[in-house]
Amino acid sequence: MKIQDLMSTQVESILPTATLRRAAQKMSQLNIGSLPIISDEGTLLGIITDRDISCFAIAMGHEPNSTEVQKVMTKEVFTCFEDQDIRNAASLMEDKHIRRLAVLNHDNSVVGFLSVDDLAHCSHELAGAVLEAATPVH
Amino acid sequence: MKIQEIMSSKVETISPDASTKVAARTMHDLHIGSLPVMSADGELIGIITDRDICCKVVATGRDAGWTKVHEVMRKDITTCFDDQEIDDAAELMASQHIRRLAILNRNNSMSGFLSVDDLARGSYDLAGTVLEASTPVH
Repeated sequence: MKIQDLMSTQVESILPTATLRRAAQKMSQLNIGSLPIISDEGTLLGIITDRDISCFAIAMGHEPNSTEVQKVMTKEVFTCFEDQDIRNAASLMEDKHIRRLAVLNHDNSVVGFLSVDDLAHCSHELAGAVLEAATPVH
Repeated sequence: MKIQEIMSSKVETISPDASTKVAARTMHDLHIGSLPVMSADGELIGIITDRDICCKVVATGRDAGWTKVHEVMRKDITTCFDDQEIDDAAELMASQHIRRLAILNRNNSMSGFLSVDDLARGSYDLAGTVLEASTPVH
């Protein structure tokens, strides 16, 4: 099965200059756990998760009303292409100990995300292996 | 396989009167995503996650240094006993659309946590089933 058959195509994003509070509001309203950070020109700059906001920014005393997301985002975003097989995506997640990949088309634009949850809808075997390999967060 | 064979038994807890900033810092330091909330007399009264701090404190503009754990913790905790089968735990998680259970011993004391990640170490298929049933958080 191809990644594009399983990925989430509704990609909400946030600007690098938005505040942490704005990012938290957006995640809460949309019931999502992460947001890609995309520049005005459409370049993927990074990703921020609910955990980055609470366990890094708040824990370290950053002020959420004034700190910009670009200050705490993860800049290393792992990607795959939409026409690759989901097994390639699963092995990349396993190798990197992650649970989510940004999905690009061949123009290098972000067209979606593929999470371990998405994988579970197609293969319990692949999803279970990714979870076992992922960094433990209990 | 019994729950006690794959659960995480090292249980760090937090007081209901601790600040959410301290809770965030504790989760950061311990590389965990949630903390059980224990009253002074050792009773399990709630659970707080990194996501709760993001969505209920940061998103709403509250100050994490002043907001206490008991103000934002969840009080509905789903539990299992440590001598039950992991199949029972998986079925409970899937039916409740959750990814984590508090585990009690037969004296009703906390003995650990079982997450979908722990489940993956016992069975990819059970972990995949739980993920597939859980509320989508992309």
